[in-house]
Amino acid sequence: MTATENPTYTWVGTRPIRHDGYDKVVGKARFAADLDLPGQLHTAYLRSPHPHARILSIDTDAAAAMPGVRAVVTGADFPDLDPMNPNFDVSVNVMARDVVLYNGHAIAAVAASTRAEARSAAAAIDVEYELLPAILSLDESTADDAPLVNENNITRFVESDGPSNLATVNVNERGDVEAAFADADLVVEREFETAWVHQGYIEPHACVVDVGPDGRADIWASSQGHFMVRAVTAAVLGWEPSRIKVTPAEIGGGFGGKTTIYLEPVAARLSEKSGRPVKSVMSRDEVLRATGPAPAAKVRVKIGATSDGDLTAIEGWLGYAVGSANDFAGLVGAMSVASYKFPNLKLEAIGALTNTPKTAAYRAPSAPHAAFAVESVIDEIAQQLDLDPIEIRLRNAVVEGDPTAMGMPHPRIGFVECLEAIRDSEHYRSPVPEGAARGIGTGFWFNIGEQSSATVNVNEDGTATVITGSPDIGGSRASMALMAAEELGIDVYRITPVVAGTETVGFTDITEGSRATFATGMAVVNACRELVEDLKARAATILGVEAEAVDWVDGEAVADGKDPLPLAAIAAKAKSTGGPLTETASLNAGGAGPSFAVHCCDLAVDEETGHVEILRYTTAQDAGTAIHPSYVEGQMQGGTAQGIGWALNEEYVYDDEGAMQNAGFLDYRIPVASDLPMIDTIIVEVPNPAHPYGVRGVGETGIVPPMATIANAITRATSVRMTSLPMSPPKILERLGER
Amino acid sequence: MPRVHLMADHRRFTDGVATLEVEGATVGAVIDELERRYPGLGELLTHGASAGIDGVIHADPQYLAVGPDTDIWFVAPLSGG
Repeated sequence: MTATENPTYTWVGTRPIRHDGYDKVVGKARFAADLDLPGQLHTAYLRSPHPHARILSIDTDAAAAMPGVRAVVTGADFPDLDPMNPNFDVSVNVMARDVVLYNGHAIAAVAASTRAEARSAAAAIDVEYELLPAILSLDESTADDAPLVNENNITRFVESDGPSNLATVNVNERGDVEAAFADADLVVEREFETAWVHQGYIEPHACVVDVGPDGRADIWASSQGHFMVRAVTAAVLGWEPSRIKVTPAEIGGGFGGKTTIYLEPVAARLSEKSGRPVKSVMSRDEVLRATGPAPAAKVRVKIGATSDGDLTAIEGWLGYAVGSANDFAGLVGAMSVASYKFPNLKLEAIGALTNTPKTAAYRAPSAPHAAFAVESVIDEIAQQLDLDPIEIRLRNAVVEGDPTAMGMPHPRIGFVECLEAIRDSEHYRSPVPEGAARGIGTGFWFNIGEQSSATVNVNEDGTATVITGSPDIGGSRASMALMAAEELGIDVYRITPVVAGTETVGFTDITEGSRATFATGMAVVNACRELVEDLKARAATILGVEAEAVDWVDGEAVADGKDPLPLAAIAAKAKSTGGPLTETASLNAGGAGPSFAVHCCDLAVDEETGHVEILRYTTAQDAGTAIHPSYVEGQMQGGTAQGIGWALNEEYVYDDEGAMQNAGFLDYRIPVASDLPMIDTIIVEVPNPAHPYGVRGVGETGIVPPMATIANAITRATSVRMTSLPMSPPKILERLGER
Repeated sequence: MPRVHLMADHRRFTDGVATLEVEGATVGAVIDELERRYPGLGELLTHGASAGIDGVIHADPQYLAVGPDTDIWFVAPLSGG
């Protein structure tokens, strides 16, 4: 089951109107906050005003006696998990136990008849604290005598001798970097800094939970994985997962931020205590103060090169500030430096805890920080050697068989093809506009496989329903329908793609890692191929021929000497040929294809105000095969837009007490349409040989290149190298003043 | 025998050796043999590593069959956003 390099498809690669489009356009689509149940209660949280403190006492008596209040919960209402339990950190993040770990950490929650009553009651909860030293930066966290951020944290995946502020350590090494630097014609070394940034999904976290008298819970929630919601909610509550049924709501953005949970166990406990359904919806302030941003980081990079532009060595230290609990960002950061052939390499990445919100994934987690540094230094080398920025990258780009940072050879990849696509684009071949400058940057992401399930039912009228368990955060329903249409040979609009709940479809992992169209798509293809075999056998019965004599061509069973038998005709005789036509496939997908992107940006810098105007932006990305090109382009554009925000505007601003000062979209400035030009896209298709249609997944790589792309353009516009994100007007003015 | 490639973090168990041949018909059996030779290493690989084989990274590789010509790259666990 492998993809070919030059296939011809009927449906794959077309752009049908999305199956979920009508409901979203007319407002019929139901998000978690749209659901209301009879008698439901509403929640409000009391959150810590301190970044680090011991909770000496919590008095909820006054709150519990207030009008409309039906239940109050604190950490005492949840079991204490073993710190080595994989869900321990989420459990503590959902509701603090004895210690608050960041400003905004949940301490108590109230369920009342109205949100106003719940808020009033939450404000009446009295908490006595003992303040503890707070760590609010990477440097503070890694200092020799730093106090512990979280006394339950131990360093993961390496030997550990007790509690530590280190979350993870990962070292990748080959060759002899010191000797290579000594031999290099040019060595450039710089330190870079990035801020905490939020995923910025428009829909706040929301759920409705109804725990019945039998102790079973119904949960309607917005998430990137409802089987994850079931498993983690159960773990936090100390329940068996089978007590919980989760129905996925439509999702208004996730970008990695909804690969974990915050509300569901609390709402479940409140429902259990009150005997009522409980609806819980975060405010924007809560989303920004208490849900996962991407880590802040410091990255030191040193690269050596020959005078011809061969990159001979890289040495790097990548430090990620991962918030109040362990996170894997520090593991992956060094591994994401995978785009160039560096014969000598030494990259150390760490994650370090801080008394700030527990971080969460954001598209290609940890790769943007690394790429900002590496791509900036490579561009500086190109400038010093007077080399074209594309040519120096082409000269050193990895191809199939070259080692990744961790040494394992790359499979078939399309980095060179992406570089060539930008090099040959009308944008790159056009003159740089007067008063502007042009920057180039690139990005890499692994992509992942994991577990997926799919059921395909052929209905009595010859239509088909494709049922999967992957929440649709980027167009996966349309992609599933297209692959099923290709396999079954029927019109894509005769296929209804459905995202089903935990009791309706087989287990499916989170929609993350650009895996849905890849892995769940493979499950759909497998189910369809089984179904086609069944259809051929039924047709053989109807036609009175041997099964081996039947082929499946364009949605019809074909046998020599017989009239073709369309799928609908076979479906109409399902009962008399063996019963319903349905197949299910499940898998743990291997072979996720890495993805590369190359970006090109023209911008202008107003040297009086420090404002950067993006004038033109083009992105080329290897999609493997674009199942629905419009959705692929949307992912490329979306990742780029978010990366531009990360580059120019977005940052968490904390005061000395660890209180976020810009917890709203007025002050936390994500790009809006008027900030950006149309982002032009070039889809590069180097099929992933491990997928039947060559899919690589496209959701993550797009956010990796923009920071360096923009920084490199700013350098060429102003002759100053920007090394700190965001490259906001005050920072640009400061650097311009240093010229 | 399968060839095992260790992450830099784990080479302290092997006196700095990055690549070694280890007997085993599955990744799990290879890890068991590594644990026998280098106590503590197997535990870290079981709970803290994925295995890259033939360019494909496997998150839960314990029962994956390997042959005498297989290269196993133990790498840090991957996730996504």
